[in-house]
Amino acid sequence: MRSAALTMLTASGLAVSGLLAACGSGGPAVQAQATGGAPVYGGTLTYLEHQPPTCLYLPAAGFYPNGGVLNQLTDKLTWQDPKTLRIEPWIATKWEVNKDATEYTFHLRDGVTFSDGSPLDASAVAANFDVYGLGDTDLKLPPAEFVNNYERSEVIDNRTVRFHFKKPSPGFLQGTSVIGAGLVSKKTISLPYEQQCQLKNVIGSGPFTVAKQVVDKEIDLTARKDYNWAPASSKHQGRAYLDTIKIIVTPEDNVRVGALTSGQADYVRYVQAYDEKTVKDANFKIYAEPTRGVNNGLYLRPGNSILSDLDVRKALQAGTNAKEVVDTLFTPSYPVATSVLSHLAHGYVDLSKELAYDPAKANALLDKAGWARGADGIRAKDGKPLQLGVFVSGPQPLSKQTLELIAQQWTKIGVKLEIRPADAGTQAVDIKNAEKTAIAHSMVGRADEDVIKSHFHSQNRDVILSKDAKLDKLLEEESALADKAARDAKVGEIQRYVVDQGYAIPLFEEPQVYGAAPYVQGVAFEAVARPTFYSVWLSKR
Amino acid sequence: MTRYVLLRVGQAALVLWAAFTAGYVLLQLLPGDSILIKFQNPELGLSPQQIAEIRAYYGGGDPPIIGYLHTLLGFLRGGFGYSIDTGTPVVERLAEALPETAKLATAGFALAVLIAVVLAFAAGYSRTSWLRGALLAVPSLFVSVPAFWLGILLIQVFSFRLGLVPVIGGSPTQQLLLPVLTLAVPISAPIAQVLARGIDQVYTQPFVPVVAAKGASRWWILWRHVARNAMLPALTVAGMTFGELIAGSVVTETVFGRNGIGRLTEQAVNAQDTPVMLAVVVLASTVFVLVNLGVDLLFPVLDPRLKAAA
Repeated sequence: MRSAALTMLTASGLAVSGLLAACGSGGPAVQAQATGGAPVYGGTLTYLEHQPPTCLYLPAAGFYPNGGVLNQLTDKLTWQDPKTLRIEPWIATKWEVNKDATEYTFHLRDGVTFSDGSPLDASAVAANFDVYGLGDTDLKLPPAEFVNNYERSEVIDNRTVRFHFKKPSPGFLQGTSVIGAGLVSKKTISLPYEQQCQLKNVIGSGPFTVAKQVVDKEIDLTARKDYNWAPASSKHQGRAYLDTIKIIVTPEDNVRVGALTSGQADYVRYVQAYDEKTVKDANFKIYAEPTRGVNNGLYLRPGNSILSDLDVRKALQAGTNAKEVVDTLFTPSYPVATSVLSHLAHGYVDLSKELAYDPAKANALLDKAGWARGADGIRAKDGKPLQLGVFVSGPQPLSKQTLELIAQQWTKIGVKLEIRPADAGTQAVDIKNAEKTAIAHSMVGRADEDVIKSHFHSQNRDVILSKDAKLDKLLEEESALADKAARDAKVGEIQRYVVDQGYAIPLFEEPQVYGAAPYVQGVAFEAVARPTFYSVWLSKR
Repeated sequence: MTRYVLLRVGQAALVLWAAFTAGYVLLQLLPGDSILIKFQNPELGLSPQQIAEIRAYYGGGDPPIIGYLHTLLGFLRGGFGYSIDTGTPVVERLAEALPETAKLATAGFALAVLIAVVLAFAAGYSRTSWLRGALLAVPSLFVSVPAFWLGILLIQVFSFRLGLVPVIGGSPTQQLLLPVLTLAVPISAPIAQVLARGIDQVYTQPFVPVVAAKGASRWWILWRHVARNAMLPALTVAGMTFGELIAGSVVTETVFGRNGIGRLTEQAVNAQDTPVMLAVVVLASTVFVLVNLGVDLLFPVLDPRLKAAA
């Protein structure tokens, strides 16, 4: 279940923003209405969630159970079309950005209210982003990962707000569309951290409001009848189709799937790879939504005394068979990685040649690096075995099985992978220790070029515990390029560099996998695969 | 008698204090802490410096002995502090979880006792040796069934295949049926075993043929004479299975997605949420101590010989 809170959050944080999915579903705008006739209003959707939500402070919304709730309760300044990844108007009807991307001016829609009746105006938006950009020490509110270089807000008039940045921040526009940038009432945003963590205090302007909560078990959402400010490009306008959504926490994998196929639930999150067939065989639908960011993979830490040798890192890269991992443990919903980034990410470049499986090359590199095979087949140098530690990553699907399979592959090249079970405390302490945790198993989702910076920069997630000044510099250059083409090219350069340096062994493009009954129509997701229930409706069973 | 009661109550208080202290020390010895686990979340992007400030705010910077006394004092006053994971007062979380688990545990325990008594009596009454053997083998089977597996099996069969009981939604009673059964089966086993063995032993006592010679029926002997004497060890075991009820509720509540002390414990352990874990330890010890105190005080009532000794 919540095996390591830390990893979970890490990974889940992953998806700070993102794009959407493959399967003919779109964001609110692009509804899958191919089947089922004309949409009908009313009805209750029973949605089974894998884990209970934790703290619902918006910048912590990346954790999927949190995002699944908050995405229904809050609106954002802008909407990112999951297919095109373009940023479109939502609460902001239009905006201007100055040439070097240090000033953003947003013009707000009129007549939008929070569910407590207070207006969603320029001062409310300013109050939100002041906290997301700077944090608030007195209220113990940490800043958000998706806002960088924030300086201050400026309320021009009731419906116009301007944000100033210390440095060029081209990622900010997309940042206003991410799950963590949901707008909450002035009252909510001025509460201390513990209070903002609690669902009852989250007052948004979204299409649903909280009707009932049984902590850790159930959250009932009810449609806001006066909701009338969906993104302009959404086909559906006005109130949501559904009357009620029952979000029920059901930790057991086979109970969620069984409840779905036996008709006790309509829609479930987190269908394991080995359960996909059960769901499909029952004529239910699988939605494998891409998360469009840094791929699920092993991230090698050069600070580790063994991995400080580039040849060893390159050997591990060549000695890992990602295709075998996917073929053995996963399904076509999990595409084999062809770069550090998902093929749907901004600036993706295909590096599959560089990442080809080549055990002979791996062995040669390790021989060259002076690691000789011992009697047990494991290599050693100066009496020290070639053994590397990695934690099982709670949020990654089948992390333990994945690592076990890779450990087998590595035995063939004489490397021992020491897989450590994820106990949250030990992990929290050791994860920052390259000697004990030589390798991190993780991923991050966000549909912006900055996702690669989030993952690798020494001041962000710093998954490889980087001391590589060149990498940091490349990442900073990327995040400050105002021109999209130049920025994408820089992202390509970074992917190449990370692979060349053997910092990453990408495995697969991690999706979020949902299952839904055939009568659930209009299934849609935001750009990093969190469900949007606004356009969902139920056709006849 | 008063002295006996006072002595037992004093012992109970001592056990509680020891449980609290052991719990506190062990939780402090764990690597990492909930603040690190929670705030190292990369989405929040906090520096180690900022995390240290947050820790200081939660009182994590105090010397261990001060922290211990502070917490102990809080517990004595009935304040368990705040859950670090969710930011809610621990008392609130317990108040939400406790009634759910109490329902589950009470019903599960009652059913377990019923199953145990029926099994032991049937075995004790039966004269067919293969049937007796079969009945006596049931507890061994029950005790070896993992609650986890049993719960999933019951859901698959009764809910998903036969559609008799919904697992999602459903009335509160419907929601209780399968979890109660899941919890009761493994707990009934030790009680049934001890009761059946007790009945066997009492049957070998000289007074049994005497009663039979006086013309008592087999049922009367079993019910009135044998069972009554075989009851004491079973009662002790029943008191001790309480610990299993709590352990069992962790699994049962997770499988069935019920909120309760078990789920709360599981989540608190995963997040290393010390205030919640400590409160659960103390709560569990309290109930454990009370149940055993109750059992001890019941003994003299059931067996007059103990009354004299006390």
